[in-house]
Amino acid sequence: MGVARAKPAPRDEGARLGFRLTLPAQILVLFISAFPLLMQLYISVTDWSPLSGLGWWNAWEMWNSFANYTDLAADGRFWSALKRTFIVMIVCVPAEFLLGLALATLFADDFPGKRIFYSILLMPMMVVPAVAGYMFFMLFQSGGPVNDILSAITGTQVTIAWLSDPTLALIAVMIADIWQWTPLMFLILLAGLVGVPQDQIKAATLLGANPWQRFTTIVLPKMKTIIIIALAIRVIENFKIFDTLYIMTGGGPGVATETISVYIYKVTTQDLIWGYVAAIALAILVVLSIVAVFAMKRMAGTREVAA
Amino acid sequence: MSAIQLIHLTKTFGDFTALKTMDLDISDGEFMALLGPSGCGKSTTMNMIAGMEEPTSGKILFGERDMAGVPMGRRGVGFVFQNYAIFTHMTVRQNLAYGPRMRGAAKAEIDRRVGAIAELLQLSTLLDRKADRLSVNILQRVAIGRSAIMEPAIFLLDEPLSNVDAAFRAVMRTELKQLQRQFKQTMVYVTHDQLEAMTMADRIAVMDHGVLQQVGTPLEVYNNPANVFVARFIGAPGMNLLKGKPAESDRGLVVDLGPLGVTPPLPDELAASLRGARGEVLYGFRPEQVALAQDGRGLAMPVTFVERIGARTIVHLGQGEGAVKAVFDNDVGLSIGQTAIVAPAASSVRIFDAASGLAMRAG
Repeated sequence: MGVARAKPAPRDEGARLGFRLTLPAQILVLFISAFPLLMQLYISVTDWSPLSGLGWWNAWEMWNSFANYTDLAADGRFWSALKRTFIVMIVCVPAEFLLGLALATLFADDFPGKRIFYSILLMPMMVVPAVAGYMFFMLFQSGGPVNDILSAITGTQVTIAWLSDPTLALIAVMIADIWQWTPLMFLILLAGLVGVPQDQIKAATLLGANPWQRFTTIVLPKMKTIIIIALAIRVIENFKIFDTLYIMTGGGPGVATETISVYIYKVTTQDLIWGYVAAIALAILVVLSIVAVFAMKRMAGTREVAA
Repeated sequence: MSAIQLIHLTKTFGDFTALKTMDLDISDGEFMALLGPSGCGKSTTMNMIAGMEEPTSGKILFGERDMAGVPMGRRGVGFVFQNYAIFTHMTVRQNLAYGPRMRGAAKAEIDRRVGAIAELLQLSTLLDRKADRLSVNILQRVAIGRSAIMEPAIFLLDEPLSNVDAAFRAVMRTELKQLQRQFKQTMVYVTHDQLEAMTMADRIAVMDHGVLQQVGTPLEVYNNPANVFVARFIGAPGMNLLKGKPAESDRGLVVDLGPLGVTPPLPDELAASLRGARGEVLYGFRPEQVALAQDGRGLAMPVTFVERIGARTIVHLGQGEGAVKAVFDNDVGLSIGQTAIVAPAASSVRIFDAASGLAMRAG
C-alpha cells in the first residue's frame, strides 16, 4: 500500500522548499567551483592547449591516457619546486607564528605608544604583495640598503649579490614573506590571547604557577583553536607564495627560488601545455586538501575542549 | 591569635580613595564577611589581602608576618572567584591537581591529595568530567577544593553566590558553611547581600565609601547599629529613622517628632544617655518590631502602600522624611488611606545623633 508515501512528511516538504530557495546559490557554486574543477579534471588527461586549435570541450580528441600524471611523477623540476615550497613553508610559517605570538604577548599588556606601534606593525600586511616584492628587490640589490647596513655594522664594504646567489636568494624571499605575513599571525593570535579569561590566569597565579607555567597550562590550551586556524591559513597561503617572490627573483637564479606556483605559472605562460598544468594543479589541490582536512579535524576535536 | 590584621590600610586610585585607613582583626578560624554596597571598598580590601593589589599605605599581617612585597602566589591564600574561574579546558581532577602540580609535587603525592580532597568534597565520581559542563554547586566545590588542596591558612571568597539564581542560593549557603566547618579555616567573604553575611558569618564588617562602619556579630550589627548607615543598610527593610528632638513629658523622656506628635516614652537606659543632649536626634526602630497600638498611644500615620510578600505584609506609612515601614503578619487588615496608630516596641528603639549619625548608646 502506498499509504506511507501518499503525503510527504512535513520535514520533506521543508527540505524541498529549502532546496528551491537555495537553488540559485547552488547553481552559482556549481559554476564557480564544481564546473572548473571538472573541466580541470577533464583537461588534465589530454594534451590540450589553447594553441591546439580545438575548443576545450573537444579536448577528448587529444586524450593521452594519463600520460600527464606519469610525466609529472618523473618531472624533476616539479619535485624540486615542491620541495622548495615545503622548505619555504617549514621556515616561514613557524617563524611568523613565533614572532606573531611573541608580539601578541607583548601587545596583550599596555605600554606607552601601544596604539602607534600597533598601526606600524600592521602596515606590512596592507602593502600590495607586488609592491612589497619591488621593495625587497631594491633592498637586496648588491648596492642596496641591506648591504649598506651590513657594511656599516661590519666596517667593511659588503657587496653580497643576494638575489643572484641560489641560497641567499631563497633566504631573501623568505625574509620578505616573514616581513609581510607576521602581522596577520600577530593579529589573529592577539585576538585569541585577549580572549583568554583573565580570572583563570589570576587563579593559576594564586595557585603558585609561574609565568611560563601559566602560559603553557592556561594560555596555550585556551588558544589551541585559534592557533590551528592561524597556522592553517598561513600554510595554505604560503604554499601558494607567488607575487612577492616572482617580482624579486622571477624564480631565479636558474630555478633556485622556483616554488610550485612559479613553476605552474611558467609552464602555463611559457610552455603553454595546459593539460599538464591542469594535472599539476590537481595534484597540489589534493595535497592542500589533506592539510585542510587535517586542520579541520583537529579543530573539531578542540571545539569541545575550548570555551 | 589573629590570622589577618589590617593596620591603617589605605588604597587610592589617583584622586579616588577606595579604602580609607581600615583597621580590622580577623581571628584564626573565623568566618568574616565584608559587607557593603558596590563601590564600598570591600573587593579592594580582599584584593589587597590576596596580593592582587598593593596597598597605598598601611600594613597587612598574616599572623606576625608582614605581607608587603609578598607576591600573590606565595601568600598561601585560597581564593574563590565570583565566577569560580575554573580551568574549563581541564577535567575536575586536573583542576584539583593544578596547585600541587605547579609546585612540582610527585605524581603519587598529587594523586593521594586529589583523592583525599575529592573524597571530602564528594567529587570522587566526577573527577574525570570536563570542567566546562558542571552545575554551579559542583563548580563551587571544585573551586574550593582547588584552593583547599594547597592547605591555605586563609580562604578568600569574592561574592561566589552572586551568579547563582535565588532559589539555589540557600542550598549553596548551607553547603559553604558546612565546608567551612570541615576545613576550620579562616574565611573572608565579600558580599553585598546581607542575607549571606547574616547567615554564614561569625562577624560582619560593614563598609561604605571606603570606610569601615562597624564590626560585629550578625546580631550585634542588626540590633545595635553603630551609625545611621548600618541601621539603614542592615535589615530588609532597613531601620526606620525619624527626625525629632528629645523632650520631657510627665511619662518620662520622649522624642518630639514635630507634626507626627511625640513618641512613647523612652526606656530608662536610653533616656539616661540622652539627658543633657538637646540637639536633633533620629528616632530609630525596626519595622519588624512595630505593633498596632490598641490603646491609641502611638504614632498616627496614614497607610500609603501595602506590600504583601506572602508570609508577611510590609505596610508603608507616612510620606517624605516621616515615611516608615512596618512589617506585620500577613493577615493585617490595613489598606491604603486608613490611618494606623503604631507603637514601636520599647526595647527595639535606638537613638542616633542627627548631626554625626552615630548611635547614642545607653550607659
